[in-house]
Amino acid sequence: MPDLTNKPVLELRDLRKSFREADGGEIEVIRIRQFTLSPGEQVALAGQSGSGKSTLLNLIAGILLPDSGEIAVNGTEITRLSEAERDRFRAANIGYVFQSFNLLQGFTALENVLLGQMFGRGNGAPDHALKLLETVGLADRIDHKPRALSVGQQQRVAIARALVNAPSLVLADEPTGSLDAKNGEVVLELLRRICSETGHALLVVTHDAQVMTRFPKVVKMEELR
Amino acid sequence: MNIIKIVTKNMRQRALATCLTTFSVMLGVALAVAILLIRHGMENRFQQGTLGYEMVVGAKGSPLQLVLNTVYNLDISPGNIPWTSFEKLQSDPRVKLAVPFSVGDNYKGFRIVGTTDALFKEFEFEPGRKFTLEAGRIFNFSEAALKDAFKEAVGRAKEREAKEIGETLPAPVVKDESKHGNRPFEAVVGATVAQETDLKVGQQFIAAHGVLPSAEAQEHTENPWTVVGILAPTHTANDRAIFINLDSFYHIEGHELRETHEVDKKPKAEEKDNDPDPGQISSIVLKLRSPLHALPLYREINDSDTAMAAFPAAEIRKLFDIVGNIDRVLLAQAILIVVVAGIAIAVSIYNSMSERRREIAILRALGARRKSIFAIVILESVAICLVGALTGIVIGHLVVAIGNPVLQRVSGFTVPAMKLQFVELLVFAGCILLGAVSGLGPAARAYRTDVAGNLAPTS
Repeated sequence: MPDLTNKPVLELRDLRKSFREADGGEIEVIRIRQFTLSPGEQVALAGQSGSGKSTLLNLIAGILLPDSGEIAVNGTEITRLSEAERDRFRAANIGYVFQSFNLLQGFTALENVLLGQMFGRGNGAPDHALKLLETVGLADRIDHKPRALSVGQQQRVAIARALVNAPSLVLADEPTGSLDAKNGEVVLELLRRICSETGHALLVVTHDAQVMTRFPKVVKMEELR
Repeated sequence: MNIIKIVTKNMRQRALATCLTTFSVMLGVALAVAILLIRHGMENRFQQGTLGYEMVVGAKGSPLQLVLNTVYNLDISPGNIPWTSFEKLQSDPRVKLAVPFSVGDNYKGFRIVGTTDALFKEFEFEPGRKFTLEAGRIFNFSEAALKDAFKEAVGRAKEREAKEIGETLPAPVVKDESKHGNRPFEAVVGATVAQETDLKVGQQFIAAHGVLPSAEAQEHTENPWTVVGILAPTHTANDRAIFINLDSFYHIEGHELRETHEVDKKPKAEEKDNDPDPGQISSIVLKLRSPLHALPLYREINDSDTAMAAFPAAEIRKLFDIVGNIDRVLLAQAILIVVVAGIAIAVSIYNSMSERRREIAILRALGARRKSIFAIVILESVAICLVGALTGIVIGHLVVAIGNPVLQRVSGFTVPAMKLQFVELLVFAGCILLGAVSGLGPAARAYRTDVAGNLAPTS
């Protein structure tokens, strides 16, 4: 359940991440002095392509490790966790929505949502997943495989999957990037509404000015340096 | 949702590759199981078939040939031994039971065996199991009639010999029709013979000369045999035999001509001086009063000039030592097929890893641990081998079941097709292990999948 105390859901401190280039040189992608996200807060993180937005989300999700600095989610310093512990922590505490939906093509809409549940809560009943699919307006599409769904519907399945474990933090990487303007607006509003209703903190990275206008708080990547 | 469901979904997504690799495993396992079943079944049946036959005595030559001919109605008789050998052994205090056998004819390929009623009354084809009748009765036997038949057969032999060299015989052999010459030609048929030839009690049949069917074989049309009894199934080679009264065997034209090698070697003068040889038989089956008598008697018989003794169980063991090499080669081929299938599984899954990197990255992003991904790939490989092994075992049994009538026709035996052997559990376990080993390479590749790099949008 989301933590509704004043303790930040996310705290980044002195975070640095570099990648080695093919020529042997290093390029620094992330340099963040400090960033916090409060429970239920919704923030758009703006930056141009290649500014390290996706890398930052992967660091927060524990998929990548920083070269230095601290990442605390719900007070847990995830850089100190083992890889397996980070995997478990991510499944239980963080919902992740990708630009290209990243649904498993061989699985139905319901099964894709249940996959998220399986790694987060174990093999639970499908009731919650069904309810979420109903919430995102796909009650009549639960048995459809991704190829049989429109791109907007696919992203809605991805949203349901990200929320199935009731994470306190939802990360969205260009969630409207693969959608047309109309679908993008619908999906973004849906994501924001559900996060508001459930109290999940939402961090969306985007370079789309239209998306930024929908958020009460917009932080530019450069400002974090 | 659980790992098994993910595995089955993955297998279904690669349906063609999954089916082909499963089929390869199935093929190898079915072949291995069929070979093992047939080998095990035949070995058991052959060994079981020797249980009632402690020792077999016949003409000098190949002991295996003697055993195959007497116990399994296979191969041809190595030759004949004098009836006196039988009489000598019958009166030997170490011998509990001696049963004579004479072969030389067939009916539709089923061997006709001339013997005495001791076969049905006293002989146990397996410990504690005597022949029982399903219908009718056993044939009538009289030793006096047999001796007369011998005399008649010897007379016919001399008559024929005289004709060949143009000599005139002083006095022709006259059949004593009033005593034995008109004895009915009675036969007791084995269960398989009755089933396949549809012979019933009261029916008559004409035998053909020779132990194997042949288009040119001379038929004994003048002497049809009447079926007087049908034996209950014994599941031994006896089911494929037709047993006739030994004396009727020697009433048949042509049966007086067969001579042992030893008789051939005898000087003519010696033959004339001796009491006329009352007759010859193909072999004798012995039951001894004590196992301790086996070796001394075996040596005595083998030291004699006229006959040879063989232990059926030992000969069959030797036979399977020879045959074993052949089926070991076949088994090695079957194992090779399974191993190649294992390699195919490894290659197939390994190649699919390139297409599945994104899926693996998604699962990892959803919280799947590396070891879960590793397990999914190993389970996929194991599942292919598991399904292949299970269907292979079933198909192997079915092949044997379908092939059993052919096997029975050829060897007289069927093998238990629906009985699971312990060795099949080993085959099954081996397949599971093979699946796990085959999955190691692809699983290691999946384990190392770069998550962040494969989550990025593709254009």
